[in-house]
Amino acid sequence: MNVRKTAEQIKEDILLCLKETPLSIEQIRIKVESNWSTINSYLQDLTKEGKVKEIISADKAKIYQRVFGDTYFDIPITDDERKKFKTLFSLIIRKYKEINNVPNKTQLAKTAVKVINSPESGLSELPTVWYLYGAIPLMIADPSQDYQEEWAFEHKHKINNIIEVYIKNNHNKKSRQIQKEQHLEYNDKLYQLADNFLELTEENSWNKEKMFEILNEFCITCPIDEEFKEVFGITERFVSTVRKLSYFDSLENHRTKILLTFDSIWKFIATYKFYQTISVKKRFSDKNLLNLYLGNPLAVRKACAQEAFSDLYSIYLSKLDDRKIEISPEVEKIREIMQDWTGED
Amino acid sequence: MEKDSFLDANVIINYANYQTDKSKEIVNKCHLYISNKQNKFIICYAVIRELFNIITKLTIIHIEVLKKVENISYDLNKSKYLPVRYMPIAEKLYLAHKEVNENKLKELFASERDIFEIEIEKFLKNKVDVKVIPVEEIKADLVSAIRDIIENYADCQILASALQYQKDKDLFLLVTADKKDFNPNSYEYLKEHFNLNYSKENYKFPELLNLMFQ
Repeated sequence: MNVRKTAEQIKEDILLCLKETPLSIEQIRIKVESNWSTINSYLQDLTKEGKVKEIISADKAKIYQRVFGDTYFDIPITDDERKKFKTLFSLIIRKYKEINNVPNKTQLAKTAVKVINSPESGLSELPTVWYLYGAIPLMIADPSQDYQEEWAFEHKHKINNIIEVYIKNNHNKKSRQIQKEQHLEYNDKLYQLADNFLELTEENSWNKEKMFEILNEFCITCPIDEEFKEVFGITERFVSTVRKLSYFDSLENHRTKILLTFDSIWKFIATYKFYQTISVKKRFSDKNLLNLYLGNPLAVRKACAQEAFSDLYSIYLSKLDDRKIEISPEVEKIREIMQDWTGED
Repeated sequence: MEKDSFLDANVIINYANYQTDKSKEIVNKCHLYISNKQNKFIICYAVIRELFNIITKLTIIHIEVLKKVENISYDLNKSKYLPVRYMPIAEKLYLAHKEVNENKLKELFASERDIFEIEIEKFLKNKVDVKVIPVEEIKADLVSAIRDIIENYADCQILASALQYQKDKDLFLLVTADKKDFNPNSYEYLKEHFNLNYSKENYKFPELLNLMFQ
C-alpha cells in the first residue's frame, strides 16, 4: 500500500537529494517520486526557510542548491567531515580556553589547518582551501559556535599536542602576522607578495622602487590559466596602470583608489585560488558541478574587479598628457628588438 | 579632400614602437603617417581590443624570457604560454639579455611595456577621431564570409567592422601594414570573392592603403 508522504517528509527528501549536488526541479521530481508542481511549491517554501537557494547553471537552467550555511559557498561536505571539523574546532577552542584565551576566527581557522596538514593528526582528508587570507578549512571556523566533540579521533592526543604547540607559538600574534607566517610556511609566493604590497602601502610615502619590484613580481607570479584568462589579464593591467600613472602623478594622491582596486582584484584572484585548490581534490574534480557552486561568485568578483579597475584606468587616462618620457639606453635596446614584432597572429 | 583613415592595429603598434633614427622602414612609415595626420582617424573596437591583447601577449613574452634568464634549462619551445610564432622574438630578447641581473631585467621589461602602452594610449586619446562598431555589433555572418578567405579571426573582425562602417559612408582608406592577409593582391581577391558570392549584400570595400607596399 502506498502511504502518502507528509509535507515535512517531502521537504526532508528534497533536502536529502540536494545534499551532494544541486539539481533541477525535474531531477528532484524523479528522485523524490513526486510531481513537478508539488516539488516546485515545496522548493519555494524551502527557499523562504533559507534551506535551499536557486542558482542558474551555465546553460541558464534553473537549479536548486542546498544551503548548509557552514561551508564556504555552501560546498557540500559529508556528515562525517562535518562532525570531524566540529570536533577539531571544539578541541582548539578548549585549548585556547585553558590559557584563558578565546581564539578569533583567524586563530581558529589557521590552527585547524595546521592540525589537518600535520600528517600525525590523521586528518589529512579533511578539505582545506586557499582563499582571501590563505589556507582555511572548507567548513567555516566560527569561534562563537558551541562546538561539541562529535567524533572520536584516533590520534586525539597527538592532535592536542599539535594544537598546544601552535597556540604556544601564535596566541600573542595578531591575525595579520599569523596569516603572513602561514603564507611563508606554505611558500605561496602570490600571497606573500600581496602581503608585502599591502604593508608597503601603509607607509605615508611610498617607496616606488620597492613597490614596482613587488608589483612586477606579482604580475609574473600571477597564474596564467586559459580557462580564467581574466585573472592574469586584469592583474597585468592593474600593475601596468599603477606603473604608468606614476609617470604623470604621485601615486600617493591615488592611494585609496589603488588600494580599493587591488582589494577587488585580490578578491577575484582569491576566489580563483579557492576554485583551483578545491578542484584538485578528487571529489570536486567535476568542473561542471564546481561551476554551479563557484561560477556565480567568480563572475561577480570578476565584474567588481573590472569595475574597480575601470575607475583607476579612467584616473590614469585623465592624467595622461604629452610630456616626454625619459627612456634609458637599456630600454631603448629592448624597443629596438621589439620593432620586429607587431603581436598579430 | 583627403579620405579618412580606418586604421588597422599593426599601424598603431608600429607607431608605438618608433624611435628616432633607430627604426626600420615600416615603423618610420607608420609613424610618419600618424604624425602627419591629414584626415580623420577611425578606429573600431575590435582594433582597440586587439591592441590590449597584444599588450598582454607582450607581457607573456617578457615573463617567459625572464623564466629562461632565471633558469637556463627552461625550454622556451616547451612553454605552454608562448605560441611558436613568438619564439623568434623571445629568443632574440633572451640572447640579448641573458647576462642581465634578473631583478633589473624585470624592471627593464616593465619599463619597456610602460613606454609602449603609454604611446598607444596617447594615440587613442589624442589622435583618434571616431571609435566605431562595438565588438558585439560585428555581424557574425559577415565575419564568417570573410573567414572563407582570411584565416585570422581578429583580422576578419576588423575587416567586418570596416565593411559595416563603410556601408553608408564616403569611401575611406583601410590603412594597414599587414603583409599577409591585407596585401594588395589578397585584398583584390577578397573583393572579387565578395562580388561573386555576396553581390546581393552589396558590400562596399574601403580603399586599401598598405604601408608595406608604398
